[in-house]
Formats: sequence, structure tokens, C-alpha cells
Amino acid sequence: MTALLPPFPVVLPLVAAALLLLVGRLLPWRLPDLIATFAALTMLVIDGAMVLGSAPAPLVYWFGNWPPRGDLVLGIGFVVGQADAAVAALIALLFAASFVFAWGYFEDIRAFFHVLMLLFLAAMQGFSLTHDLFNLFVWFEVMSVTAFALTAYRLEASSLEGALNFTVTNSLASFLMLAGIGLLYLRAGTLDFGALAQSLAGTPRDPVAIGAFAVLAAALLIKGAMVPFQFWLADAHAVAPSPVSVIFSGAMVPLGIFGLAKLYWEVFAPMPAIGTVMRSLLLGMGAASAIIGGFACLRQRHMKRLLAFSTISHVGLMLSAVALLTPRGLGGMLAYLMGHALVKGALFMIAGILLARLGGIDEIGLRGHGGGIWPAGLALALAGLLLGGAPVGLLDEGTRLIDTAANEAGNEWFLPAIVLGTACTGGAVLRAAGRIFLGWGERSGEEERGPSEEETEKSGRPLWLMMLPVAVLLALALASGTDGASRFAVAAAARFIAWDGGASLGHLAAPPAVPDVPPSHPFIPWLTIGLTLMIAAHDLGRSRLPRLWLALSDRALAPLFVVVDRLHNGLVGDYVAWIAVGLALFSLSFAAVGG
Amino acid sequence: MTVLPWLVALWLFAIGIYGIITSRHYVHLIGCLGVVQSSTYVFLLSAGYRWGAGAPIFYDHPPGTPAVDPVVQALVLTDIVVGATVTALLLALVLQVHKRRGTVDPEKLQPMRR
Repeated sequence: MTALLPPFPVVLPLVAAALLLLVGRLLPWRLPDLIATFAALTMLVIDGAMVLGSAPAPLVYWFGNWPPRGDLVLGIGFVVGQADAAVAALIALLFAASFVFAWGYFEDIRAFFHVLMLLFLAAMQGFSLTHDLFNLFVWFEVMSVTAFALTAYRLEASSLEGALNFTVTNSLASFLMLAGIGLLYLRAGTLDFGALAQSLAGTPRDPVAIGAFAVLAAALLIKGAMVPFQFWLADAHAVAPSPVSVIFSGAMVPLGIFGLAKLYWEVFAPMPAIGTVMRSLLLGMGAASAIIGGFACLRQRHMKRLLAFSTISHVGLMLSAVALLTPRGLGGMLAYLMGHALVKGALFMIAGILLARLGGIDEIGLRGHGGGIWPAGLALALAGLLLGGAPVGLLDEGTRLIDTAANEAGNEWFLPAIVLGTACTGGAVLRAAGRIFLGWGERSGEEERGPSEEETEKSGRPLWLMMLPVAVLLALALASGTDGASRFAVAAAARFIAWDGGASLGHLAAPPAVPDVPPSHPFIPWLTIGLTLMIAAHDLGRSRLPRLWLALSDRALAPLFVVVDRLHNGLVGDYVAWIAVGLALFSLSFAAVGG
Repeated sequence: MTVLPWLVALWLFAIGIYGIITSRHYVHLIGCLGVVQSSTYVFLLSAGYRWGAGAPIFYDHPPGTPAVDPVVQALVLTDIVVGATVTALLLALVLQVHKRRGTVDPEKLQPMRR
């Protein structure tokens, strides 16, 4: 029975979207909201059933009943392992929460918002479940195009400019991806992940395949917003409607990293040169993104922009975890991805509540205005603590796994970057919570010079309805922080590595055994949360700190902030130049490793 | 198989990127994006090309007749459709930007910099 499930997460939202587009105008009242939420919840159930059903072996589904003959693969298949299904389930959950949050928000444009969101959802499901390189590209494209349209939804100057930057950079990503697919097809003559891996295993030092990996990885890292490809993210996430930003930060950007993990483990794992570059260059890129995102986050006053930079920081951590190339590292990344999606989704919803109830999003402008919506303040503080490394919840389980995996892989050097990046983002969120809801921090620091603008979102929606998904997401992030969850993540990762690649050809290797070991540095969560609280307290208590200290610390840090700020200047030409620099960096490092 | 198509594809890619980086008009920039995209078409079509082979249509040929690779042609066709969508969307965005800001120079349009 479960063997027939894999196509449904894609087919169902596509059918729902087509129906809504057809009859959306005629539907009364809030029916589109109801249909969209129901569709997302149904998919959550289907994905959940696939998580259970794929425990003994991945579910393999061939569209149009075109299974491979021998080693010749002509059809397009979905291969659903536990990790894929779990990621897909998380995405469905996030969409359901976002639909509830957006209840009544988009009634001016009737069902068009839901149509676009359902297409977006179908694309993400397909991206998580597919086992065919070109099919992956198609979902990547559908995901991009719907995201472009959703970003520009408000049709105001800044949302249009943010959407333009997003569209140009991410279109380049899809061209790069297509070029990479062409290179790989040229070499292997197939597009199925399993058949590709089999073909590459015969020629592990093939330069064309290495070049293909370089462009494919660059494409996915543009989507994953990693330094130096990250520039579009802050512009796009800051201007998109908040229910859409929930999905962008929680699911779309981390999916870029998940896609990279898929490509590495299911296709390129037999090639030693690629493993070397992953463990060096990509690990470093992740660490650099964690730090740069964290610093840039501290300097923001526009809440959505602040959260956008924190996403860069946390996704950097995920990339580092994948780049360790161990089952435990991948398991840590999966746990972190889930925890991050839940917490960051809740945070963007809280930003949306500020926009709807207080009519603004500027942290300094809203100082002390949050009293009337104190539940949102509590949620913001809790989410800030979770984001800042508090030793509870799913994010913390993920961090512990990554810590242990780094120790096992002998790559502990990037852990300080993660502590620093996490503490900066958590500190910035807590600072905003203290300032908006308690009125603290009357003297502002460097964040005062951050960009901001007047902005509101549709008001008149009941607070309890907007708080409901926030509470559910945060409760899940807290409740799922158990040993069982991290054990499941590691087991799913081990099976993903052993099974997902060859499943289309019927080869299932034995999953590697990953013993349960205690975290290598149990003090890291405490160190991180301590640093988070210190940063928040420092920024909120500026008026009580000695002037000399403030002058010295500001003078020391100002150049750093100015550089980060000047780089994120909103000029699409500069962003594309950075993409070219990143591509050059990739080529050089592969040339250095020497195939 | 000659290297000429590879060189053409590389040249189109590089010149398109150069155009995007230096562009001062969004419509021009979108044109440059199209040039970058064409480089992938040239590359893909040449990857599937076979000298002396016909079109991959076996209606009046027996199966087994040499033909160029139909898979890459399908890839290119899909990408052309996607490219048309993205270009249309971009041009619509640029029109809206022009309505609101009265300029389409990327240097003068920076989100949240006013």
C-alpha cells in the first residue's frame, strides 16, 4: 500500500492548485484557506506514512511504470527514504502552519496566493523525493519561479527590487544547474542518481564529472545562500510577505543544502577529489557563512532582515555538518534543519504579528510598543533562546550531534565559528524582544544605521489565530528535543547514505553502524547560550555601560560592520560578480586537488 | 566533435555575465540573462549531437538508425519554456518598478536604501 504513496505529495497539491485556480473566484468566504490548509495537512499524513513505510527499505516508484531493465534506466523514479520523507513531512507541516497564519491575509487577491503556495509546496515535495537529475532541476525551477512571484506579491518598490535581485541570481543558479546536468549526461548518458553513481564509480577521477559537480554545487549553494552566494537572501526575505518568508527561511534555503547532500551521497560519493573539496572548501564556506550571517544579523533593526541574516548563519552550520561527510554529521544536519525550520518559521510569524498588530517592523521604532500583544513577546523570547543555543529542544540535539561528528571527523576547528554565529543571531533576536516588548535598550548601537523602512501587513486578524501556529511550532521544537529524535535522525542519515543512491537499481548496501556516544564537548550549548545572553544584555544595557567601553568596542567593531553592510548593497550587478568569484574559487580548488 | 560549440557556449556565458555585472538598464540586464541561458542551449545541443545522424524520429526509419540524442533536446525544450516564464515575470516586475520609481537603472534601485 505504502509503495503507491510517493507520487501523491506532488500530485495532490498540483490538483488542488489547478482546482483553486479554476473555481477560486466562485468560492465563498474563506474556503480557499480551508482547502489549502487541508491539502497541506493531508500531505503531512502521507509523508508521515512514508516515514514509517520506508523504514525496512526505501519506497521506489517509477512514473508511467518504466522500471529499469538491468542497469539501463529510462524512466523517472521517486526514491523515498526515511530522511527524504521526514524532510517532506516537515515542509508540509510548515506550509499548513503558514496557511493558518495567513488566514484572511490575502483575501484581496482571492485564491491566487493559495495557488502559488500549493505549486511551491508541490515543487518542494518533488525536490525532496525525486531520484532523477533532470526532474530535480524541474522542481528546482518550479520552486524558484513561484518563489519569485510570491516575493513580489505586494508590488511595492522595495518588494519589486528585492524580487528582481532574487530572480536574476537564482535564474543564474538554474542555468548553472542545467549546464552541470549537461556535463554529467555527456559523461554518463543517464540521469538517474543510482545509474549515475554506478557510472562514476568506474571513472572516479573523471575531470568532466568533477566540473559537473562544481557547477551543480554552485547552483545549490546559490539557493542555499552560502557565502559568497548569499547576497540575494536578505533582500528577498525582508520584503516577501511574512507567511512566505516562513517558507523561504524554514524550508526553501535549507533544501539547497539537503539537495547538495543528496547529490553527494547518491551520485558523487565514489569520487575522492569531491570528498576532499567538500571537507575543506565547503566546510569553510559553511563556517564563514555562520560568522558573516551572525555579524550582519546583529547590525539590523528591520526584524525580517535580521531574521534573514540569521538564516544565512544557521544554514552555514548545516552546510558544515553535511561537509563532514559522516552519517552522524548528516544526522545532525537533519535534526538541525527540522529544529531550525520550526523555530525560524515561528520567528517570521512573530514578525508578521508585529507588522499586522503594531503596524511596523522596525525594532527601534517599536521600542516599548509591544505591551498589548505580550504573548508574542513571550514567544519571541523563547524562540530567541532556542535559536541562541539553549540546551533544550531539537536545535540543541542537532548541535550536539554536529559537535560529536566534528570531533570524530577531526574537524573541530569550525566549532568556534558556530558558537559565535549562533550567539550573534540569538543575541540579536533577544535584543529585539527586550526592546520591543519591555522597552529596554533606549540607547541603540550599531543597529541604528541598519536599513529599514515603513511597512505594514493586513491588520484585523485575530491575535489568537496568528499565535496558534507559532505556539504549535515552538511546542514541537521543544518537545521533539529528545534522545529518541537524535537517534532517529542518525539512523535515517545512515540509511540515506547506504540505500538511497542504489535503490533505483535494487542495490541496498548495509547501513553503517553509528554507535551512540555522548557529545564531545557538553559545555558548548552552555557556552553558546551564555554568549547569547551576554550579547543581548550588552546591547540592551548600553545606557548603563561605561562610555569608555562603548567607545572602544564600537570603534573596534565598526569597520567590520561597515564592510559587511557595504557588501550587501542591493546592487544586482555586484551580487552576480560575487557569484562569478565563487565559481572561480570552486574551479581553483578543484584544480588544486587535481581530480 | 569539434571544440567550437564548447567555445561558443563559454563565450556566451562569460559575455552574458559581464553584461549583467555592468548593466545600467534592467531590460538590457534581462537580455544579458537570456544570453547566459543561450549558452546552456548551445552546450546541451552540442553534447547530444552525432555527426551524420538524423533527427530522433523513427516514424519512417527502422529503429537503430543513427539519430541525435533526444534526451538533451527535451532538456533544452523544457528550459526554453522555463526561460520564457522567467523572462516574462522579470519584464513584468521591471514594468512595475518603472511605474513606481520612474527608473530602471539597477544602480538607482536598491531595496531599503532610501
